[in-house]
Amino acid sequence: MKILRPLIPLTVILILYFALKEGVPYLGSQLHEGTWPVIPTSVMKMYVFFIAVGVLLIFTFTDDGFKANIGPFAEIYLNPDRKIIRFVSAVLVGCFGAWVSYQYVKPTFDAPVELRSIHPAPPSNAKMWGKTYSIGTLKNPLREDKENFAANVKAGGEVYYKNCFYCHGDRMLGKGPFWDGFTPVPANFVDIGTIAQLSESFVFWRIGTGGPGLPSEATPWLSAMPVWHEFLSEEEVWKVILFLYDYTGHSPRVIEPHH
Amino acid sequence: MTVMEIKSFSSSFVKGVVLAVATVALVGGSAFSAAGNVENGAKVYMKKCWWCHGEEGEADGPAAEFMMPPPRDFSAGVYKYKTSPPDAEIPRDEDLFVMISNGMPGTSMPSWKEVLSEQERWDLVAYIKTFTDMFEDMDNPPALSLAGKIPSTPDSITKGAKAYEAGKCFECHGERGKGNTQKKLKEGSGAKLWPRNLTKQWTFRAGTTPENLFARVTNGIPNTPMPAFAAETTANGKLSVEDRWHVVNYVMSLADPTNQVSQGQIVIKGVQRPAIPADEKDAVWDGVEATTFRLAPQIIQKERFFTPANDLISVKAVFTDKDIAFLLQWDDRTQSIPGEEKSGTLAWGPLGHDAVAIQTPVTPSGSSEKPYFGHGDGKNPVSMLYWKSQSATDPAGSMLMTATGNHKREMGDAESIGFTTSSSYEFGTWKVMMKRSLVSPNTEKDTQFVVGKYIPVAFANWDGSNGEAGSKHTMTTWYWLLLKPAPSNDVVVIPAMIFALLFFGQYAFSRFAGDKKNKA
Ligand code: HEC
Ligand code: HEC
Ligand code: HEC
Repeated sequence: MKILRPLIPLTVILILYFALKEGVPYLGSQLHEGTWPVIPTSVMKMYVFFIAVGVLLIFTFTDDGFKANIGPFAEIYLNPDRKIIRFVSAVLVGCFGAWVSYQYVKPTFDAPVELRSIHPAPPSNAKMWGKTYSIGTLKNPLREDKENFAANVKAGGEVYYKNCFYCHGDRMLGKGPFWDGFTPVPANFVDIGTIAQLSESFVFWRIGTGGPGLPSEATPWLSAMPVWHEFLSEEEVWKVILFLYDYTGHSPRVIEPHH
Repeated sequence: MTVMEIKSFSSSFVKGVVLAVATVALVGGSAFSAAGNVENGAKVYMKKCWWCHGEEGEADGPAAEFMMPPPRDFSAGVYKYKTSPPDAEIPRDEDLFVMISNGMPGTSMPSWKEVLSEQERWDLVAYIKTFTDMFEDMDNPPALSLAGKIPSTPDSITKGAKAYEAGKCFECHGERGKGNTQKKLKEGSGAKLWPRNLTKQWTFRAGTTPENLFARVTNGIPNTPMPAFAAETTANGKLSVEDRWHVVNYVMSLADPTNQVSQGQIVIKGVQRPAIPADEKDAVWDGVEATTFRLAPQIIQKERFFTPANDLISVKAVFTDKDIAFLLQWDDRTQSIPGEEKSGTLAWGPLGHDAVAIQTPVTPSGSSEKPYFGHGDGKNPVSMLYWKSQSATDPAGSMLMTATGNHKREMGDAESIGFTTSSSYEFGTWKVMMKRSLVSPNTEKDTQFVVGKYIPVAFANWDGSNGEAGSKHTMTTWYWLLLKPAPSNDVVVIPAMIFALLFFGQYAFSRFAGDKKNKA
């Protein structure tokens, strides 16, 4: 049974591998449903390499350990009486190599990667409602109107629920009834990665000119975001912006003055 | 109240305590709903719910006109999904709680458990009950008896199929459950209503367990034509408890797991065959993998459309060294034949054709610039293969088109690419085959299909009985088509070489090391 001794470190490596690959995401999914990331393959490969080296080091650290674990290899390859086991080992190692190389050469039919800049730099000027707006200096005219603030927010809510909820969702989570029909999927306004990062002028530009208004690094041909200046008035857009920030509790980013 | 609750329990201790209290109260029956705080419910309602359900619960919020089914009118006090006994007029508080928590798949009613606490949801239950006097002086009814449940067996399913016939479920849900109704159905309010496609159980509003479905069949769906089969009074007759369990098993057996979006699949893989299939029913298609996409209504450009009926399109592709053929398949509750009387009786709005279109860029360019998904743009035109169903006077037709933007279309020369179609409608499913040549003489206006290249592709679909015509239709954004090249030899040769190398390498090593050892 000495010959089986090297299986112990191998087994330990395998167990650690599965703990990493399956265990960690599983644990994560229990703690935080849907948000736990899977470990990327490249990082997995690195971890597994370190684990393998570490385990082998531990098992061959002492002289005895070294002999016990390496000895059987010498036995297989050097003892003339071990013909059968040598043959089996040669086949197994060969098959493993073939399998690994197959994983590399087998054809994959994954879709081409489409890189898309989510928040591209806006143009300095944008045309909407037959006028030209300078995006850098634009301010929400309704924000200062403290007196009518609540009424404006409510009016913005009505704009939202007549025009936006079926994509961006009744809960603002980007999951309206038709969200899964569009790639890229509609923006999630509760998430800190969207309006929370943006200035009101940027959001105004995005709503006014929609998907087709994006520069080419943001793949305007893919976005289902409609061109709202064709449907809404300028005031309605400012109102819906008030509503978006009010409902989600985010504050718009304040633009630093240009130098 | 089970799996999901257990999960939230483990996720937070505080929630867990609330849950424990809730569970105790639930066991105590009607007592718990009193724990819902009406004032707090009103506050949450005015932040989250009134947009659809209206300030007075009258289903007249600003969003109401943009959805089918329309929001529930709380002032009427009629709820669709109840698990109280058939003779109880009102639903159980737990029913309202579950609908608010889980939402209603296939409708605009979202699930609120992710954003509202357990307590807030009970507060809402208490509040929405105040919109009507139906609940006044009424105790929370007990749960419907689920006694006599019959496990699903082939025998029970056969009996269920008989009950499906006896109860005339097929008149509304179709012989194979696709929802291809024989009569026009309406909500109590008169609004447009299509019966459920029983093969798409991901669209079931109130759960898909046998117990959920037993409650549906027993109580029907109030305020809709879906009858309560526990009652003597319906035109469809009564079903015994036993028959109801059998029909539940039959309905569950209709679930078609392929009749939903192919998760994560965005590439249609066209395969090479010696010949193009003869028509849409050719057995060759059975061996080809289908990719199924979600159809969303065209709510992006003028004129928009908000109340779609069809929700999926499934696509297969086959090619030879000369031609390419697509098989497009979708469930459609109605065969729309303009000019025909029967079709006319089912239609909402003017009766139009059923139709489908495939859109590809004239110049596909891999992952870089594409035409705008909505009919292309001035810089990047798209080519479209369009089919429409027959009318009372004309046979089905097809067209080749080029577009450079919304409403900027021109006809192409369909003959030059040998464009032909064949189609059939059976048991609530359309199958349309489109065939054309891979290459086209008109490189400026028409797509060249190249084997091994990723070609962007998008689809549009019209249900003529659902008021869909022109820009009012359902659609997809860009996906991919790949005509799979014949596998290269490398796939075999390289692994074989590696095998040989390692196999003989080990023998060489053993001989070399053995020699050394002997010498030593
Ligand atoms: C047809 C679906 C659809 C509708 C309707 C729609 N959107 Fe969008 N929207 C999208 C999609 C898809 C994106 C993500 C792609 C993009 O950035 O263009 C998006 C992105 C956005 C963004 C950019 C967020 C960011 O982080 O850059 C804003 C702001 C926005 N939408 C606001 C609105 C408002 C306000 C309305 C209603 C007036 C609306 N949308 C209606 C689909 C839609
Ligand atoms: C975007 C629109 C929308 C919003 C927002 C919305 N609902 Fe609904 N709700 C609907 C629709 C649509 C239906 C009816 C679906 C059907 O008939 O199948 C519905 C149905 C219901 C029902 C009835 C279930 C039954 O068995 O009849 C309840 C209860 C309900 N909603 C409560 C709420 C509460 C509470 C909120 C706020 C937290 C809310 N809804 C927010 C659209 C909405
Ligand atoms: C007169 C027409 C009619 C008949 C007969 C009928 N149904 Fe229905 N059924 C409907 C309609 C309409 C709906 C959808 C109601 C809605 O969405 O509001 C429906 C919905 C359903 C649902 C979906 C429930 C859910 O949670 O979404 C099931 C299951 C169902 N019916 C089963 C049956 C069975 C089984 C029978 C026969 C025993 C039957 N129906 C007979 C019209 C009918």
